[in-house]
Amino acid sequence: MTKYIVNRLLGMIPTLLIIITLSFFIVRIAPGGPFASERKLPEVVERNINAKYHLDEPLIQQYGRYMFDILRGDLGPSFKYKDYDVNYYIANSLPKSIVLGSYAMLLALVFGISAGIIAAIRQNTWLDYLSMGVAVIGISVPLFVIAPVLQLIFAMKLKWLPTSGWYTTGEGWKTVILPAVSLSFAYFANIARLTRSSMLETLRSDYIRTAKAKGMKNTTIIFKHAMKGAMLPIVSYLGPAFAGIITGSIVVEQIFRVPGLGKFFVQSSFNRDYTLIVGVVIVYSAILIVMNFVVDIIYAQLDPRITYK
Amino acid sequence: MFLKRKQPKEAALNEFAQVVEGNSLGKDAWKRLKKNKMAVLGMIIVAIYSILAASAMFLPINPYDQIILDHQHLRPSFNKTAGDLMMETKLDDLYFKAWRAGSLVVTEAESQKIEEWISLNETNKVWNFLYTEGEAQRQAGTFTFSSADQRTIDRLQEKIDTEFLINVDKMFYTDPETGKSKNIARMNFLDIQRIYAEYLGVEESVISDQIQNEIRSQVLNTVKSATPDLTAEEYEANLELELQSLGEKGMASLGKTNLLVSLKTAISRSIERGLKQEIKDDKTQFPINREVTVNELLSADITADLKHERHYYLGTDYSGRDMLSRIIYGGQVSIAIGLVGTITSVLIGIVLGAIAGYAGGKIDFFLMRFVDIMYGLPYMLLVIIFMAIFGRNIMNLFVALAMVSWLTVARMVRGQIMSLKNSEYVEAARSMGASTGRIIFRHMVPNSLSVIIVYSTLRVPAFIMQESFLSFLGLGVQAPYASWGSLVGDAVNGMTLYPWKLVFPAIAMTIFLFAMNFFGDGLRDAFDPQSKNQL
Repeated sequence: MTKYIVNRLLGMIPTLLIIITLSFFIVRIAPGGPFASERKLPEVVERNINAKYHLDEPLIQQYGRYMFDILRGDLGPSFKYKDYDVNYYIANSLPKSIVLGSYAMLLALVFGISAGIIAAIRQNTWLDYLSMGVAVIGISVPLFVIAPVLQLIFAMKLKWLPTSGWYTTGEGWKTVILPAVSLSFAYFANIARLTRSSMLETLRSDYIRTAKAKGMKNTTIIFKHAMKGAMLPIVSYLGPAFAGIITGSIVVEQIFRVPGLGKFFVQSSFNRDYTLIVGVVIVYSAILIVMNFVVDIIYAQLDPRITYK
Repeated sequence: MFLKRKQPKEAALNEFAQVVEGNSLGKDAWKRLKKNKMAVLGMIIVAIYSILAASAMFLPINPYDQIILDHQHLRPSFNKTAGDLMMETKLDDLYFKAWRAGSLVVTEAESQKIEEWISLNETNKVWNFLYTEGEAQRQAGTFTFSSADQRTIDRLQEKIDTEFLINVDKMFYTDPETGKSKNIARMNFLDIQRIYAEYLGVEESVISDQIQNEIRSQVLNTVKSATPDLTAEEYEANLELELQSLGEKGMASLGKTNLLVSLKTAISRSIERGLKQEIKDDKTQFPINREVTVNELLSADITADLKHERHYYLGTDYSGRDMLSRIIYGGQVSIAIGLVGTITSVLIGIVLGAIAGYAGGKIDFFLMRFVDIMYGLPYMLLVIIFMAIFGRNIMNLFVALAMVSWLTVARMVRGQIMSLKNSEYVEAARSMGASTGRIIFRHMVPNSLSVIIVYSTLRVPAFIMQESFLSFLGLGVQAPYASWGSLVGDAVNGMTLYPWKLVFPAIAMTIFLFAMNFFGDGLRDAFDPQSKNQL
C-alpha cells in the first residue's frame, strides 16, 4: 500500500509538469505576446518592461526561471494589475471557492446517496420515480440554466434568499445556499443514479442473500453490508465530479457574484492577463490532481479485491 | 471479384422446416428502440429541432441580426404588433408620470400599494396596475393627458403608422456602352467607386478621399477598443502600423464594403422620399417587393415593410432583435457545433484508437500514456485559455472542443480493436493478403460501430453543453451570431424585468437536451440490452 501511494505521488509530477509547460508555452506563443497592445511605447520603456518581466531573455531561460519560481510557490507578477502579484489574488479568492465547492460536494454526496438508496430499496414506487425524475432533470439541464432559474424563483420572486454576494455582504450563511445548491445539482443527479443502479446490483448478489437467509435485519443489511459494496462506483465518480465542480464554480460565481477564483479566471481571460490565467489554471490543476489522488487511495482502501503492484 | 458474386437467395429452414430469417444488429436494435416510448419521443423531438435549425433560412421569421433600437426589450405577445407594444411602454411611462404628478387620481389604499411595490422593486406590477387604471379612467373620461403628453403620444402614433424599413437586396448598374446590366456587389472596388461618384455627381477623388478617411477612423476605433489608454500620438503610430499590415488588398476589400454600404444608404434614401409621398397619397400597400429605377443607369431590388407592424412572438432582446429568430438560429449554431464536433472527435478517436490497438507495442504505450495525461488535465480550463488567447470565434471554439474530446473514443476503440484482433475473420482477411488499413477500417471498425454510435449520441448533448458553457461566459459565439448559451448569458442581467429573454432559450435548450439524452439512453439499451438500468 505504501508503495502504491508513493507510486501515485510520483505519477502526479509529470502531469503537473505538463500542465505548467503547456500553459507557459501557450501563453508565450500567443499572437502578439503579453504586451502587444503597448507595442508603440518609447523604446526605453519597452526595454525596461521587458527587463522587468524577463521577457528579453531566451525562451528556455524564461521557462527555467518560471519553473524555479513555481517551485518556490511564486506565480509571478500580474501583467495587468501592477500593484499586486498573482499569489495575492489567488490567496484572496481561493478560500471562497473552496468553501463553495466543498458545500456543493457535500450536498451532492449526502442527498445523492440517500436518494439513490431510497430509490433502490423502494424500486418502482413513487419514491423511486420521483428521485429518478429529479435526477434526469439534473443531468439534462445545464448549470447555467438551473442557477439563474433558481435565482429568479427563490431570490427575486419569493425573496427567501439573497440574490448574490458572499458572507461579507451581511446576509451570512444564507448567501451560500443558492450557489451551492445549483452547483451540486448535476452531481447530485449523477450520484443518485449511480447509487441506485449499483445498490440494485449489490442487493441481488449472493452475500446479501446469505445475510438475508441468516435472518438479519433489513437496515443492518443495507447499511452495513450493501452500502460498502455499492459505494465503489461512487468513489470512482468523485474524480470527474471534482473536475466538474471546479469548472462549474466558474459559472456559479459569475451568476451569484461570488468573489472567488472562478470569477477571477474569467475576468483575467477577458483582460488577457496571461500570468494570472496560468496561475489560476495551475492552482486548479493541482487541486484536481490531489483530489484524484485522494479518491484513488480511498478506492484502494474500500475494495479489498484490488491489489496494487 | 469472386467474393462479391451474388448468390440466389434461398430461404433458410430450421429442423422443423420453418423459415428462419437472418436479422442484422441494426434491425434488431431498431425493433427494441421502437418499443421504448421515451426514446422514440426523444428521436422525434431531435428530428424536429434539426429540421427547424437546418431550414432556418427559409422560415418566415424576422432576420436574427437586425438591430431595431425602437424595439428594445419588447415583451412577447401573440396578437399585438411591435407598434402596439411600443405605445404601451410609452403609456406606462406617461401614466406613471401622471400618477407622480397627481393628475392621475387613485385611492389612498392603492397609492400605498404602489409605493410598497416600488420599494420592493416590482416595477412590472406598478406599470400593469397604472396602465389598466389609467386606461379605464381615460375611457370613462375622468382623466386626460396634459397637452404635452398628448403630443408625445400623437407623435409616437404617427411614427408607428408611417415608419418603414427599406431593404436594398441587390443593386444593378447598366453599362452605358454595352447596355448590359450588372450586379454591383460583384464589381471591383474601383468600378464601384466610379459609379458612386457618378451617382453623386462629384469627382472620383472626393469619394476616394472620403473612403480613405472612413477606413482610417474605423481602424482607429478598433485600435482604441483593443488598447484603451494610450496617448494620441501612440494611437496615430498604431494606426499607421495597422494600415500598413492591411496592404492593398485589405484596403480594397474594406473600401468595397464601405462603398456598398454608402451606396445602399444613398439609394434607399432616394427611394424613401418617393415612398413617403406614396404613403401620404395612400397609394401603396405594404409589404412592398419590387424593382426600382434610381436613375437611367442604376436600379435596385428592394423590399419595404412597415417597421412597427412586426410581431415578436417571443419578445426582443436588448437591441431589438427578434428572440424567436435568435433562438432558432442559436439552435442552428449549437446543434451544428454539437454534431460536427462530435463527428470530428469521433473520427480522430477512431483513427488513433485503432492504430494504438492494432499496432500495440511502443506506439500503443506512448499514445495511451498521452491519453492518460490528457485525462488528468482540467481540459475545460485549457479550452478557456485557448479561447481567450486565440480569439473568440466559432471556428476556434470548435477546434478547441474537438481537440480535447476524442480521448474517450480513442480508449474505447482501442479496447474493441484489441479484443477483435485475434478473431477468426481478421485472421482470414489477413491470410487473404488484406492490407492493415483495410483490415482495420473495413473489418474491425465496422464491427465496433454500435458502441461508437451509442457513445456519439450521448456525446452530442455534452458537446452542446460545453459550447453553451463557453458562450455563456462570453468566450464562445459572439454577437451578432447567437447560440443557446450566449442567449442565456445575455439574459442573466435584468432577468426580473425581462424574464422572457432567459426563459425561452432555456426551455428550447432544455427540451433538446432532454430529448437527446432519452434518445441516447434508448439507443444504448437497444444496442446492448444488458446495460439496462445502468447509468
